[in-house]
Amino acid sequence: MMAMLERVQSLLPWAVAAWLLGIGLYAILTSRHYVHLIGCLSVVQASTYVLLLAAGYRHNARAPIFYTHAPSVAVDPVVQALVLTDIVIGATVTALLLALVLQLHKRRGTLDPEKLRPMRS
Amino acid sequence: MNASLALLPPLPVAGPLAVAGLLLVFGHMLPRRVPDAIAILAAIAAGVVCVLMATHTVQAPLTYWFGGWTPRHGLPIGIAFVVYPPGAWLGAFIALLFVATLLFAWGYYDEVQAHFHVLMLLFMTGMIGFCLTHDLFNLFVWFELMSVSAFALTGYALRTDALEGALNFTVINTIGSYLILGGLGLIYIEVGALDFSALAHGVNAMPGSPVIAASFALMASGLLIKGAQVPFHFWLADAHAVAPSPVSVIFSGAMVSIGLYGIVILTWSVFGGSPPVQHLVHTLLLGLGAASAAVGGVMALMQRHIKRLLAFSTISHAGILLVGVALLDRDGLSGMLVYLIGHGLVKGALFMIAGIMLATLGGIDEIGLRGKGRPIWPAGLVMGFAGLMLAGLPIGLMDTGMERIGLALRSGHELIVRFAVVMGMVCTGAAVLRVTGRVFLGWGSVAGEEERSPTNAEREKADRPLWLMLVPTTLLVGLSLLGSHDADRIGWRAASVLMQPDHDAVLGLAGPHPASIPAWTKVPGSWLPWLATMLALGLAVLELTWHKLPRRVGTSYDRAIGPVLAVLRAVHSGSVGDYVTWVVVGLAAMGVTFALI
Amino acid sequence: MTPRVRIAVFALAVLCLLPAFAHVAWHMPPFGAHPLPYGDAINAAGTRERHVTNMISAVNFDYRGFDTLGEEFMLLCAVTGTSILLRGNRGERVDAPQQVPGRPIRDRSDGVVLIARLIGPVTILFGLYVILHAMTTPGGGFQGGVIVASGTLLVFLGEGYRGWRRLMRSKLLDGCEGLGATLYALCGFASMLAGLPFLQNMLPLGEVKDLFSGGLMLLENLGVGMAVAGGFAVLFLEFLEETRVASDGDEEESGG
Repeated sequence: MMAMLERVQSLLPWAVAAWLLGIGLYAILTSRHYVHLIGCLSVVQASTYVLLLAAGYRHNARAPIFYTHAPSVAVDPVVQALVLTDIVIGATVTALLLALVLQLHKRRGTLDPEKLRPMRS
Repeated sequence: MNASLALLPPLPVAGPLAVAGLLLVFGHMLPRRVPDAIAILAAIAAGVVCVLMATHTVQAPLTYWFGGWTPRHGLPIGIAFVVYPPGAWLGAFIALLFVATLLFAWGYYDEVQAHFHVLMLLFMTGMIGFCLTHDLFNLFVWFELMSVSAFALTGYALRTDALEGALNFTVINTIGSYLILGGLGLIYIEVGALDFSALAHGVNAMPGSPVIAASFALMASGLLIKGAQVPFHFWLADAHAVAPSPVSVIFSGAMVSIGLYGIVILTWSVFGGSPPVQHLVHTLLLGLGAASAAVGGVMALMQRHIKRLLAFSTISHAGILLVGVALLDRDGLSGMLVYLIGHGLVKGALFMIAGIMLATLGGIDEIGLRGKGRPIWPAGLVMGFAGLMLAGLPIGLMDTGMERIGLALRSGHELIVRFAVVMGMVCTGAAVLRVTGRVFLGWGSVAGEEERSPTNAEREKADRPLWLMLVPTTLLVGLSLLGSHDADRIGWRAASVLMQPDHDAVLGLAGPHPASIPAWTKVPGSWLPWLATMLALGLAVLELTWHKLPRRVGTSYDRAIGPVLAVLRAVHSGSVGDYVTWVVVGLAAMGVTFALI
Repeated sequence: MTPRVRIAVFALAVLCLLPAFAHVAWHMPPFGAHPLPYGDAINAAGTRERHVTNMISAVNFDYRGFDTLGEEFMLLCAVTGTSILLRGNRGERVDAPQQVPGRPIRDRSDGVVLIARLIGPVTILFGLYVILHAMTTPGGGFQGGVIVASGTLLVFLGEGYRGWRRLMRSKLLDGCEGLGATLYALCGFASMLAGLPFLQNMLPLGEVKDLFSGGLMLLENLGVGMAVAGGFAVLFLEFLEETRVASDGDEEESGG
């Protein structure tokens, strides 16, 4: 019984990642405002981060920073490095998208994806 | 020679990066055309290095570990480039396409800060890096670099339609990138490495693992989004129609095809030992490729905006590429590689002609431009010829590739796939020929189905002389006619090398083990290319003169085909929410296919 | 598709995917208890081989330094794209402060100005601290660069538009960004000039726990810090400039 509970508990990170992906995509396809849509893209991005960071986790291990203690069993630094650079890049791509949206708002006065279809207005 | 050869792998990637950085810092100080020249020289240098590497790695691939981090006891801890003919020739092709495009775009951008050239160089670097790398996250990094530079380049024109198309493009492709990253995470959890060879060993040790299968499904979905396959293809038409012409040349000429090359790498280098994955490729991806070929062809015929038409034709031909991959045999893969390059050259030339039309005729709507093409009749000749090549005219690289894929299809595969492929070729060829007839000959006074398709008024800067724009165009088409025999042989060897990757040698566990390459045999000639070309010509003439047929023919056609076309047009709605829904449908299709295995 | 049809199709697709997800999740390696061969190899060797104590920086700038090169230029692309989109249409003026019609221009509150003038420079200093200590404690060019750029926003609050604009010159920031990225690429070429593979650490490594340990990683980290700080500062500059109403000197449409 306890083993079963632990098994289910260890599924939690993957469930969270899948939920974030699903809810993010759902919100994108029902979005009526482009800024909201871009925020939901960040949610989808977060799902990949949860997956990657959970991939590198190890119970009862320390951070891979050996300043105060000698090198010992630690969590995986590789996924942390990947996620770290990705977060910063993700922020700049979000800025690019927001710039697109800003220019669009200036020209068309609306930010509703349903009204902003290429060549069909 | 060997020692200097070993120094080459980082150059085609790091060199343009450094040049792009320097252009960004000093670009505003340089006189007007100097950034153009610098960018072209950088692209030429990258291409030359790639050709050198391609010709000198025929016997054994060249493995280069960055930072000096060679594997320890078979465990890789750094990033490697493994250079062998498939990747290196693709890199050379990409550099060539960029040289032609930068020549075409000479003087296109008047700005003083060289931003366009910086972005183009980074775009090129991403694609070449993608072809040469041997590490999964490194592959993702170059994929992202080519995506982000494409996003930045699409919105360049700052017209309203450019921004909407750019948004659709950016949102869908970003979702694709996240899917790839998700798949990467899954396989990292299961196998614990990022190098292709280490991953392959891990996959071979766990052939039936559902986590590995799910990882492939996610990564393949992301790559199929980039490769514009049904049901992930909707963004391409919007993005293409609104990107500046030089950028469109690269999109259709190389970017979409590179996405499909990614599927090749994954299928053979990483997931070769996973039966569920191989089965998925052979069933679902084959079906999606065939569907793309058919849908792309029909949609192309329905367009009046010439760049949208060419975008759908790219979807169709990319579908044929995917069919070549999904057949999982040497003929198919060899044909796909040659067809990739041939199609890239021809499609690039066609987009340049579209750019010429925008610059000299002041429009891009087929119906609006009827008969106005006579001042630029050389472009019309090239366009007609390119249309025939798209239809399958039996000369040049496209035909060489197609014959190989046809050979693979003939060895007992579903008739419906063969039919879809031929339909794609015929329809796209007919569409381009119809445009040629209408714009340059003035035929087709009554428009058909295409009149109801979306269009808009566009023009581009008109201060470049016609000959300057025609030279790269004819260069590309001319190159696609050369060296078919050699290309077939090179493709054959390249496919063999791809299908038998030497993982132990890369990891330092064993000496080099060259791939066994069965004897190359010429493909027996077939009447199908001629039939396809004739059908395409006939269809184009029919489209231009249908109003002269008896009315009963017209109404029965409308009743039969009309609803199908209306559904297709409604589905391609331009709404990003719809596109995302189709992406989820595609993911579900992958899940269902796995369940049914 | 109407929104309802979309939701229905999405629900159907999710229904098809749920069994697949359950199957995959059930077969995932146990969370927190599966082998991490790559991470362990680096953790075991990093301090000894490169004299740094921050393994994440070691991965970012040494073991997988080539990835970071690509990522840095990706940042450059996104920032360049944003500045093309926003600056290209607006033009450059450094003298006119915010003027949005219909909104009263309030004086800045003394409290805000005081706090911003205190905290702004401190934040920038903290950001520089984070950048410099990449090799020893958690931090690095990416994190510190973002903090430095955020500090400039506090400077904006403290100094007001004119003062801030005098500091934030787009040419300067562009140069900072480009120089940082180029520096990283040139580090790789420096290794090749020394006869070693691209990006191999060939500078003296220093002592463990020392600020200047890690060899070539320090230069790469500096490059990243400059590129990220410059890049984000450009982004903030461009977005803040958007609040300025376009005046006569700006063009309506830029043809590129």
